[in-house]
Amino acid sequence: MANNISVVEDGKKQFIVVKIGSEQYGIDISYVDNIVRMQKITRVPKAQPYFKGIINLRGEIVPVMSIRTKMDLEPDVFTDVTRIIILKLEEHGVLGILVDEVKEVVTLSPDEIDKVAYDAKNSKSNFINGVGKHGEELISLFDTNSIIDEPENV
Amino acid sequence: MDVSQYLEIFIDETNGHLQNLSDCIMSLEKDPENMDTINEIFRAAHSLKGMAGTMGFKRMQRLTHDMENVFQEVRSGNMNVTSGLVDVLFQCLDAIDTYLENVKESSEEGTDDNEAIIQELNDILAAGTGNAPKKEIKTVEKEESPKESSDQNRFQKKYLDIEFSEKEKEELRKSEEKGMKLYGLTVYIQEDCLLKAARSFLVFKAVEDYGNIIVYNPSSQDIEDEKFGFDFSFYLASDAELDKIIEVSKAVSEIEEIVGEKVNYRELTDAAAKKEEEEAAAAKEAEKKQEEVPSVPAQAAPAAAQAKQTQAQTAKKQNSGKPVTNRTVRVDIEKLDALMNQVSELIIAKNSLVSIGSTADGGMGGANSQAFHEQIEYLERITTGLHESVMKVRMVPIESVVQKFPRMIRDLSKKLDKKMELYMTGEDTELDRTVVDQIGDPLQHLLRNSADHGLENAELRRKRGKPETGSIHLNAFQEGNNVIIEVSDDGNGIDTESVKGKAIERGLITPEQGAALSQKEIIDFLFMPSFSMAKQISDVSGRGVGLDVVKSNIEALGGDVEVKSVLGEGSKFTVRLPLTLAIIQALMVEVRQEKYAISLGSIETIEEIMADEIKYVQAKEVIHIRGMVIPLIRLDQLLDCEPADEERESLTVIIVRKGDKYAGLIVDELNGQQEIVIKSLGKYINNSTKIISGATVLGDGEVALILDVNTLF
Repeated sequence: MANNISVVEDGKKQFIVVKIGSEQYGIDISYVDNIVRMQKITRVPKAQPYFKGIINLRGEIVPVMSIRTKMDLEPDVFTDVTRIIILKLEEHGVLGILVDEVKEVVTLSPDEIDKVAYDAKNSKSNFINGVGKHGEELISLFDTNSIIDEPENV
Repeated sequence: MDVSQYLEIFIDETNGHLQNLSDCIMSLEKDPENMDTINEIFRAAHSLKGMAGTMGFKRMQRLTHDMENVFQEVRSGNMNVTSGLVDVLFQCLDAIDTYLENVKESSEEGTDDNEAIIQELNDILAAGTGNAPKKEIKTVEKEESPKESSDQNRFQKKYLDIEFSEKEKEELRKSEEKGMKLYGLTVYIQEDCLLKAARSFLVFKAVEDYGNIIVYNPSSQDIEDEKFGFDFSFYLASDAELDKIIEVSKAVSEIEEIVGEKVNYRELTDAAAKKEEEEAAAAKEAEKKQEEVPSVPAQAAPAAAQAKQTQAQTAKKQNSGKPVTNRTVRVDIEKLDALMNQVSELIIAKNSLVSIGSTADGGMGGANSQAFHEQIEYLERITTGLHESVMKVRMVPIESVVQKFPRMIRDLSKKLDKKMELYMTGEDTELDRTVVDQIGDPLQHLLRNSADHGLENAELRRKRGKPETGSIHLNAFQEGNNVIIEVSDDGNGIDTESVKGKAIERGLITPEQGAALSQKEIIDFLFMPSFSMAKQISDVSGRGVGLDVVKSNIEALGGDVEVKSVLGEGSKFTVRLPLTLAIIQALMVEVRQEKYAISLGSIETIEEIMADEIKYVQAKEVIHIRGMVIPLIRLDQLLDCEPADEERESLTVIIVRKGDKYAGLIVDELNGQQEIVIKSLGKYINNSTKIISGATVLGDGEVALILDVNTLF
C-alpha cells in the first residue's frame, strides 16, 4: 500500500512515533487513517481480552485494541494525552489502537532501519519488524500485520 | 465487434429463457398435447439461439438450433413428446446452463461441444419423424442438411404479404401512372448484425437515390426503433432497373440477401384482396414479433394453422403485457446498498435530533419547542416512510429461487427411483435481495434431504399404507418480522434411536449420556459437521455436508432452522429468516449502565417481578407466569458485567420467544423503543458466542450493542 505522501525519495518512509510504556514505537504512516482523542469505549462482552471495545467514529463502528494487553504489558492508564490511532488495513477494515502518547512524525531512510530477527521465545518482539535509529533515540517499528493477527495464528 | 456491454443483459435474459424453458418442459411432460406450451418452448429456444448467435457463442447457438429443430417437428405434429425427449431436453438445458456459467465467469462459452446431446437430439428427431437413425452419418453433416433446406425457405418474398392502406394504394397507383416502375423488395439482414436500424437506414438511403419508397413493412418508425426481426420489406417506385437497386442495397454491409421483383399495381391489389383473409393473421404476426420463424406461415398443414392461431394469441398477450415491463428499471444492487446506507445515516441523524429535542427544551421558549417537536415528528414520519420504501425496493419474491426446485425434484425422482411430488406455496413471499440470493443452497439441501433420507421407497410406503407417491411441501409465508419457509415430507421421519446410535458409535457421546438426551438434542446431531445418516454415499446426499451447511448458512443470514419429526410420519424443517437486515425496531435496555438493544420482533412481553417470585428447577432460576415456566437469564452475568452491589427487590424481565420456546431476560432499566441501524462489529472482534450480533450508534453518539436473543436458547 504505497501512499504517495509516505514514500519519500530513496525509499524513505515516514513513521508516527508513539509512546507505549517507556518505549517508543513507530507506526508506518501509510496505514494511519486518523488519530483521535480518548473517548468512551463501549465494552463488547465475550470479545478477546485485548479488545477494549468499540467506538463511534463519525457513524462508523471501530473496534479498539489495547496493544498493551496484547503485548502483555501493564494495563492502560488513560490520561489527557492518551490517543487512539485509527489504522486502515486494506481488506481488514479499520481498527483503533490505544497509545499513551503521540510524539512526532519521523522520516527514516532504509539504512536507518535495522531489521530484527523473528524470535519465537519473545512474544513482544513479534510485533516488531525493525528498529529505527533517529538521532540518539531508538524506535521500535510495528509490524502492522502482526498486530491484527490472532495470537493463536502467530 | 465488441459485445461485452451486452453481456449482462445476455446473461439475464438467457437465465430467464432457461427458466421459462424448464417450466414449460415440465408442464409439457404432464400435458404433451398442449400447443401453447410447445409454441412457448419453440419461441424461447429460438430467442436463445438468436441471442447466442448475436453474442458469438457458436456452440450454444448450435445446441439451441437443434433444440429448435426438434420443436419445429413437434409443433407441426410430426413428432410426439416422449419422456425420453423430455430427458434429453433437460440435458440440453443443463448444457446451456453450463455454457452460461462459463460465460458468466470468463465471457467465453467454454469448449464443450456437447456432441453427445446433439447426437441424441438428432436421433430423436430422425426417429420421431420416421427416418431410421443414421448413426454413420456424422452429426455435423446432419446438422447442415436442415440448415440448407431452411436457407431456401428463409428468403421469402415477404413483401407480398404487406397489406396496403388506401393512401398507400393511391400512391402506388399514381406512381405507376407516372410511368415509374414498382418494385417489391424484402431485405434480410445477417442475424448477428447489431445495428439493424442503421443498416436498414443505409439501405433506404441507397435506394432512395433511385426512387421513392412508398410502403414500408414494418413501418419506418418501427425500423428506426429496431422493432423488427432480421428482415424488412418495402415497395419502391423508381425509374431504375431492379438489378441496379439490389446491387446498391447489397453494398451495405451485413445484408445477407435481398429478394425482389417488379410488380404492377393491379396484380398487387388483386392478390392482396384475395389473400387478405388468410394472410392477415400472418402479416400481423410478422409485424408483431421477430421471434416468429419465417418458414412457418408458408406451411399449410392444419397443425401449423393451429399453431399460427395460438401464436397470434400469445403475441397479442405479449403486446398487452408490454407497458408493464417498460415500467421497471434494472438497478445495480450496489446502488441500492448505497441508498440504504444513506437512509441509515439519515435515521441516525434524526435520532440525534430527537435526543437533542428531549434535552434542549429548557433553553427554548414554549412555542418554539412545540414547533420543534412537530417538525421532528414530521421528520420521523418521513424517514420511516423512506426506510420502508427503500426496503421494499430491495424486496424480491423468493420465486426466483424456488422455481428451479420442481425440476430438481423431478430429476431426483428419476435418479432415486422414488415417486415424489413437490407442492409449493407462497412463492410470492418477499425477502431482502441479499437473503434471497443466499437462501437457494440451504433450501436445496433440505429438499434433497427430504427426497433422499425422508421419503421411503414405494414398497415400504405401500406397506405403511401411504400413497405410493411421496409428497414434499415447500411453504413460505411471512410471520411478523420474519419469513418462515417450511420444508416438509410425509416420509419416514427421523429415527432418533439410530441417530443416537450413530452418535455413540462416532464417540460424540457415551451411551449413558445418550439415554438422557431429549429428542431435540438428538436431532441436533444431524446439524453437526460431517454427520451423515445415509447408509451409503450417493450423488444426492450422504457426504455429511448437508445440514450443517444449511444451519450455518441460515445463521449467517440472521435466521435459524428447527426440525420437527415423527418417526414413520415425516419431518418438517422450519427455516426462519429476518425480513430485513439493516434497520430494525428495538427495545433499548440498560445493564449496569451499559446499553443494549433487543429486537422487538423477538420480545413477547415485559414483566415486573419480585425477587422472591424466582423459583428453582434443576438449580436453574425460573419464573412461573400465566401458566408457563420460563427460564430466567441474568443478562449481567451472561455479559460478564461487574456484579451488582445488592440484589434488587423488583426485577424487570423481558420475555423473549424463539419458535415455541421462551426465556426471561433480567435487565436493570428500560430505555424505550427505537429504530436502530445495525452495524457490523467488523472482522477483528472474535464473536464466537454470537450473543452480540452487531452495534448501533444512538442519537447522542453513544454506541449500543445489539443482543441476538436467538443465541440464548
